[in-house]
Amino acid sequence: MNTTVVAQLQRQFQDYIVSLYQQGFLDNQFSELRKLQDEGTPDFVSEVVSLFFDDCSKLIDTMSRSLERPDNVDFKQVDSGVHQLKGSSSSVGARRVKNVCISFKECCHVQNREGCLRCLQQVDYEYKMLKTKLQDLFNLEQQILQAGGTIPQVDIN
Amino acid sequence: MRGDSFSMSIENIPDSPMVSRKKKMKIRKVFDKMTQWVTPWRSNLESPREMMILRGDVEQDEFQYASSHCLSSYYSVFVVRLAIMVMLAILIGLLTVLTWHFTRIYTKQSLKTLAYGLRYELLQRPVLRMWSVVNTTSELTTAQVKLSEYVIKKSDKPTTQEELVEMYQAMKDVTWALFASAKALNAITINYRNGFVQAFHRDPASSSTFYIFSDLKNYSINGIGPEDVSGWNNQSIHGNMSAIWYQQQLDPVTGEKLGKPLKIPPDDLINIAGISQVPDGEASWHVTVSKYMDSPLLSAALPVFDASNKSIVAVVGVTTALYSVGQLMRDLVDVHGGHIYLTSQEGYLLATSTNGPLLKNTTNGPKLMKAIDSEEWVIRAGAQWLEKTYGSKRPQEVHAENVKLGNQRYYIDSFYLNLKRLPIVSVVIIPRKFIMGKVDERAFKTLIILISASVCIFFIGCVCILILTNGVSKEMKLRAELIRQLDARRRAEASSNYKSQFLANMSHELRTPMAAVIGLLDILISDDCLSNEQYATVTQIRKCSTALLRLLNNILDLSKVESGKLVLEEAEFDLGRELEGLVDMFSVQCINHNVETVLDLSDDMPALVRGDSARLVQIFANLISNSIKFTTTGHIILRGWCENINSLHDEMSLTVDRKKPWAPMKTKLVQHRNHLQKSCKNANKMVLWFEVDDTGCGIDPSKWDSVFESFEQADPSTTRTHGGTGLGLCIVRNLVNKMGGEIKVVQKNGVGTLMRLYLILSTPETADQNIQPDFSKYGLVVLLSMYGSTARMITSKWLRKHGIATVEASDWNELTQIIRDLLEMGSRDNSFDSQNNIADSLRAELSNIEEIKNPVFVIVVDIGVLDLTTDIWKEQLNYLDRFSIKAKFAWLLKHDTSNTVKTELRRKGHVMMVNKPLYKAKMIQILEAVIKNRKRCNGLRNRGNGSDESHDCLEIDPTQFDTCSSDDSSETSGEKHIDKPVQPSTLHSPVLKNYLIDATNSNDDSRSASMTQKNPEEEDWKDRLYSGIVLDGKNLKSLEGIRILLAEDTPVLQRVATIMLEKMGATVTAVWDGQQAVDSLNYKSINAQDPTEEHKSSEEETANNSIKSQSSLRNSSPYDLILMDCQMPKMDGYEATKAIRRAEIGTELHIPIVALTAHAMSSDEAKCLEVGMDAYLTKPIDRKLMVSTILSLTKPSIFQTSLSA
Repeated sequence: MNTTVVAQLQRQFQDYIVSLYQQGFLDNQFSELRKLQDEGTPDFVSEVVSLFFDDCSKLIDTMSRSLERPDNVDFKQVDSGVHQLKGSSSSVGARRVKNVCISFKECCHVQNREGCLRCLQQVDYEYKMLKTKLQDLFNLEQQILQAGGTIPQVDIN
Repeated sequence: MRGDSFSMSIENIPDSPMVSRKKKMKIRKVFDKMTQWVTPWRSNLESPREMMILRGDVEQDEFQYASSHCLSSYYSVFVVRLAIMVMLAILIGLLTVLTWHFTRIYTKQSLKTLAYGLRYELLQRPVLRMWSVVNTTSELTTAQVKLSEYVIKKSDKPTTQEELVEMYQAMKDVTWALFASAKALNAITINYRNGFVQAFHRDPASSSTFYIFSDLKNYSINGIGPEDVSGWNNQSIHGNMSAIWYQQQLDPVTGEKLGKPLKIPPDDLINIAGISQVPDGEASWHVTVSKYMDSPLLSAALPVFDASNKSIVAVVGVTTALYSVGQLMRDLVDVHGGHIYLTSQEGYLLATSTNGPLLKNTTNGPKLMKAIDSEEWVIRAGAQWLEKTYGSKRPQEVHAENVKLGNQRYYIDSFYLNLKRLPIVSVVIIPRKFIMGKVDERAFKTLIILISASVCIFFIGCVCILILTNGVSKEMKLRAELIRQLDARRRAEASSNYKSQFLANMSHELRTPMAAVIGLLDILISDDCLSNEQYATVTQIRKCSTALLRLLNNILDLSKVESGKLVLEEAEFDLGRELEGLVDMFSVQCINHNVETVLDLSDDMPALVRGDSARLVQIFANLISNSIKFTTTGHIILRGWCENINSLHDEMSLTVDRKKPWAPMKTKLVQHRNHLQKSCKNANKMVLWFEVDDTGCGIDPSKWDSVFESFEQADPSTTRTHGGTGLGLCIVRNLVNKMGGEIKVVQKNGVGTLMRLYLILSTPETADQNIQPDFSKYGLVVLLSMYGSTARMITSKWLRKHGIATVEASDWNELTQIIRDLLEMGSRDNSFDSQNNIADSLRAELSNIEEIKNPVFVIVVDIGVLDLTTDIWKEQLNYLDRFSIKAKFAWLLKHDTSNTVKTELRRKGHVMMVNKPLYKAKMIQILEAVIKNRKRCNGLRNRGNGSDESHDCLEIDPTQFDTCSSDDSSETSGEKHIDKPVQPSTLHSPVLKNYLIDATNSNDDSRSASMTQKNPEEEDWKDRLYSGIVLDGKNLKSLEGIRILLAEDTPVLQRVATIMLEKMGATVTAVWDGQQAVDSLNYKSINAQDPTEEHKSSEEETANNSIKSQSSLRNSSPYDLILMDCQMPKMDGYEATKAIRRAEIGTELHIPIVALTAHAMSSDEAKCLEVGMDAYLTKPIDRKLMVSTILSLTKPSIFQTSLSA
């Protein structure tokens, strides 16, 4: 009985993670991250991801504060924030966030405040979205583990 | 815009509104025109932005603009020309008119003066003549009177008839004397008181002289009334009809009487002055007419007084003809022309210059004629004019010019000579044309000449203007053209800039998905549930993707090359390997095309050269792909040979025949070499010659130069048939030139194209690169059985050169025959001569082989030699298998050789398999493997165990082309470390070449099992490829013992990288910014790290301590390598690197620094390398790439330490 639940959960997990990939939330880098997780570092992925989200909220906060003032926006500061965000998002494999970051960066380069604000909102939305999705994913993982199963390796082809 | 401001300023002018508006409109119009005129390009300057937006309209706009511009410039030129011409015309006209006018005026003036003098003269002379005539007459008259008085006084009061007669006789003599002396006189008459008349008369008509006298009979001698004054009347003469008049002709000279006196009627008498003419006793003058004369006569009468002076005794009359005056006038007029006449005060004509009559015949005899009645028209008209103009009060002198008489103009001059008794008026009428006619005519001619001359000048001037302005207009046109061109160029440059900017911006975005594709493919390749076919396909996709990525990079680079911003790298690389990889890659394509790809590098080619490997590969990739495009059958050969720049002359003499068409390039090369020698004396420069030789359609010789231009293709139709942009060869030439070389199409025997190029590359200082293994001592015999004749020939040639006996076979039959001959030599020894179909050379070769003692046979068989279409190949394999004890088989596989064949081969124990094409390095590999195997066999035989041959089973590395992947630079930097240990002679070193691979676990019973085992192995090779080092343990621990300092501000990245590195066995210390990185380097101990990392450092300490204790000799730096993020707060990666490098100055230390950056542009890479970093990794971090980079940077030092330890 337990095995069937585990199998179901595992399939669910697999489907979920594939859907995340297919919807473009995640990319290869996330699989890389997952590969790095092993017995020595059991919570590596969630640790990194939470680091990433902390970083995200912090950066978005700073950037929104920078962009608040309608004039004399310090685009350099915003740019460095975006750059950082882009680096971390690409490292985590948060593909959508990264893509938004790219356009965000363009906006910064041309000093388009409106565009920046739009991108900022988008980034905010995307990362929160990803956060909930990953939260679900980790919950699923926890369930599998609690059920005594193992996390299946999911390869994205 | 300018027009607006202008009109605004106009509006300020105070004026009545209506007028101002009108004026404004007008001015504005004019101004608009002017601005159009003056600044025709202004509109154009403003347009580019619009043009960019509305591309579609651009063409049309431009066209319209151009045409309007042309039109306006034509108009302007036309108007300018016209203006200049009009000005010229005015100038010339003015000059002409003025010249003519002044000339005429001055001429006229002077002529008029002259004419006046002339007229005056003409006028004066008849008057003077008249005057003299009158004077003469008067003098003669006076003389006659005095003489008469004297005679009469002498015979005072004659009383008798005789006395009287005597007195008359005396009077007659005296008078005759006087008359004879004065020839001009017409007549002298003496009328006595008593009525007696004595007269002498000359008849000019008959030129005879007459004496006329009256009969004396009727006169009383005395007393009868002579004293009676009242009896003195004219009646006495005419009335005394009773008197008889006689006329006696006289000899005009002597006065002798000739003939008898004739009685004449009184009517025929000449005018005899009577007492009536001298009523007051004074002299009187008359103009009379005579019957005999057709001209008027001037007669003077004077009384003769008696002694007492009281009474008049007689009257003396002297008559002079005015004929001579007329004669003079005629003479004058003959000379000067015109008419002259004299009139009395009353207007009677006295004399004229014409021959017309002066008298008019009336019934009462001839009478004087008035001038106005003259028959001569001119005189009449002149007189009438005078009359009309002046009337009776005529001034003394009249000078009239331009008097119009009839149709002609005349000068009329009149002079009034006021003689007391006889006032005379003299008139001269001269036609104006006599004097001025010539002048006028000349003036007219002058005018015509002037006008024609000026017209000529005008036309010449116009032509000149046309010619001159033609130049100007041409220049204007050219300038307009130039401006347009410049504008176009600017636009083109701008768009080119946009393009490169666009490309620069896009590069990241373009490469990211490509990287994803490649990454996914890598995952797929490492997947274990792939069938073999799928695996092959995926491998192919992987290759193509890397090629595509490379293409992308090339496109990006093109803009750099074009703008000259390309900087060539200077890194060591294995030239042979690059080219081999290239040929391998293209051979796949070529085999599909049924084209043979051959790599023929000479042995003296340096293994390692310094240069830009990526660019070099790019050059040949372009050339070869170009060749493939145009070659359908035959072969493509990439030849390479080398030439030391210092021994160029020797080479030249050696290879003269080969490089004849190359002569100009050669001389250039010599110059270049001289230059090079000067610039870098100790640099070990090599001239590498390459040829790409194909059997394609060839290039027309006329296009040999132009194919290297951009967008040039030898045949315009190629784009249709073969595609391509024509950029490839352009890039090639640019790159070759950049590398100090040159490329050319060379004349070739046979079909196809031969491109020859040379490059100047420096070789590293390390000597002994060309260590060629000496195979001759092993007694090898190679049997080459290949389809492609070119490759076979080249390989066999090379083998023979190295002292290896070689036999060639092109198909199965030949192969079997030779095999039999070679291997069954013992049994069929005597059958040699019976082999008819073996060529002489082959036979000689075989006989040579016979002499080799203990030969080692290597049979290289092309899989294509077997008949793979049917199952015959199995039979063939079985057949060959019989010889496998005597000879080693090496198989040349195609990339698409099916797995069954491979499996079968493996099963049979044929373990040496290489992919086509076969080239030198692969051949060496095979030979080495054979030699090694033989040695081992010998060894094993000694030990009595010969079954374990499987270690030499060889296969093909699928990811061999990774060397050509997107990040060439980082890999080449890695490769220079790879290549060092790779030396063909070091057979027993743990190094594996890529061509052959150990496939120990090929127990083919379960294919999937072999695959699972194969995959980690392959993974391993890849790492080895990167690292060049065989690792004993698992690849996961490939970074064992390496201490890495990670400077990264992003927590996520830091964490990921840390874990990643730690997984691979590295010891990682993470810091948050550049400053910390610098600080942690400066501290000798790791303890002084960032407090946030303390927990980690404590762990690491233990690990590190162990390493430290192991290698206390290791340098004082606590880390082996730094991974440095470029963008960090406080101190970014560049600054940190600079600081570290500064700190290292003076020490022997050089800690490798690898940049981590999200920027993917190579400019960033250049920046990284510039500040002193050693390598460059892009985010997200590719694990393999990172490992290889780290290993390449750290291993040498570890080796050193291990060696020293």
